[in-house]
Amino acid sequence: MDSETVRRVALLARIELSEEEIASYSEDLRDILEHFSLLDELEGLEDYGFNPVEVADVLRDDEPRQDIPAELLMRDMDTYQDYVRGPRLS
Amino acid sequence: MKASRLEAIRELDRDYGIFYSLSDDESLESAEFHFSAKDNLTTVDHETTAGSRILSGYRPPFDAAPVESLRKAGGALLGKTSMDEFGFGTFSVNSAFALPRNPHDRERSCGGSSGGAACAAALIDGHIALGVSTGGSISCPAAFCGVVGFTPTYGRVSRHGLLDYGSSLDKVGMLSADCASIAERFPLIAGPDPRDPTSCGHPEHRERSAARSVGIPRQSLEGIPEEVMSVFNDAVETLRGDMGLEVIEVDMPLFRYAQPAYYIIATSEASTNLARYGGMRYGARGEDLDTHFDGYFRQVRSAGFGREAKRRILLGTFTRMVGYRDRYYVKALQVRQALIAEYRRAFASCDMLLAPTMPFVAPRFDEVEAMSLLETYLADHLTIPPNLAGMPHMSLPCGEIDGMPLGMQLTADHWHEDRLLKAGLEWERRFEYPVPEARA
Repeated sequence: MDSETVRRVALLARIELSEEEIASYSEDLRDILEHFSLLDELEGLEDYGFNPVEVADVLRDDEPRQDIPAELLMRDMDTYQDYVRGPRLS
Repeated sequence: MKASRLEAIRELDRDYGIFYSLSDDESLESAEFHFSAKDNLTTVDHETTAGSRILSGYRPPFDAAPVESLRKAGGALLGKTSMDEFGFGTFSVNSAFALPRNPHDRERSCGGSSGGAACAAALIDGHIALGVSTGGSISCPAAFCGVVGFTPTYGRVSRHGLLDYGSSLDKVGMLSADCASIAERFPLIAGPDPRDPTSCGHPEHRERSAARSVGIPRQSLEGIPEEVMSVFNDAVETLRGDMGLEVIEVDMPLFRYAQPAYYIIATSEASTNLARYGGMRYGARGEDLDTHFDGYFRQVRSAGFGREAKRRILLGTFTRMVGYRDRYYVKALQVRQALIAEYRRAFASCDMLLAPTMPFVAPRFDEVEAMSLLETYLADHLTIPPNLAGMPHMSLPCGEIDGMPLGMQLTADHWHEDRLLKAGLEWERRFEYPVPEARA
């Protein structure tokens, strides 16, 4: 994978990389993708699923419910008057 | 458990790096049994970090379903075992915290990613360790540490409370010094849980007869070193002679493609699962909230994720990108489907499949360091096929090379765990497992 692609992917994945890291990941990912190209040998496969076994739909009644108290959920967050503090949007 | 025993475990932990967090509650003494949980299973009384700095200090408000079930049955949680960050590794060297050391030689790896779990199973008497496998993270460390590692069918055990790596691949299982302990405790954590819809597709439970035949995939033995083959062949003779199993050779041509397909699905899913770690809801926080959100998340994620985690996030983000999705991600899903069909064909002619678990014994840390990235990824080639296909499998100790344990891996069809457990019980009546010198 060339450095430009690594830069683009890192931007999408919201990860900051130094020039040195970009060079090193570029080399790593090139080797791995080359290995992945083994799959190009396989043709004519059509069926696929997102899970290896059949998955059942599980729906509960549409009633409001609070499994975990809000204060417990917020214990790990930075909050102010019941609001979660976050970074600026603009 | 006596306080002095807890102290002995603490001492072992100092020497072997078993736990990320170890209980100091001496009332554990009165519990019916004790267990540990890999540190990617949430627990109310211990931090849960999945071996990552980005979750430093995270105290979950609930127990993961398997932890909850074992506690309900009278089990006491001893602690959280060390692991590769988010399960990303084969040797447990990718943790931001403790480095687990092999119970048979401290200069060697425990295997990964459930390295601490396998170490606990080997060193602590009567211990049940909850492990998690995505591509072999239970079998590999079980083989390297000389214990039994049991990975059930995908969906057999609820993933509620598991910090996901690859959601369509992750399976919670057990490691212990013998199969008998697993056969006794595993039913406690198995079964549907509406909090995890992927655990609700179980067919009705049906007790099957013990397996009568084992198939050895020809492709699994390609390139296996002679010294490993010699131990493995002796084990096969015991299975054939003493246990009376019919042993046949089977052909699994798609095994060759399982490894790339697995890494594509695993990293694709990991890259979306790890998107939730942005320094707001859990663990590590950023310093400057006055930064634009893009910069804030980038800052937290870059400082919080380790090198291998970043590599897998980059890889998985790439394979899902517009223009590459069909070539990589969709193709990998198709390979998985075809592999499941290939397994089905094999199970029409035999009840279980068998191969060595790993192509070598636990490597020394300097050997791990010297391996290239691709060599590390390829080391999993025997454990990946059943994991990719969601098939239940179990690694059993089957011999040793220069004092280091070697494992063999049995695989059964979806939902046929009982066959594996029966075979494991029969096996351990005939084969004595290696016992490390240090024990508590």
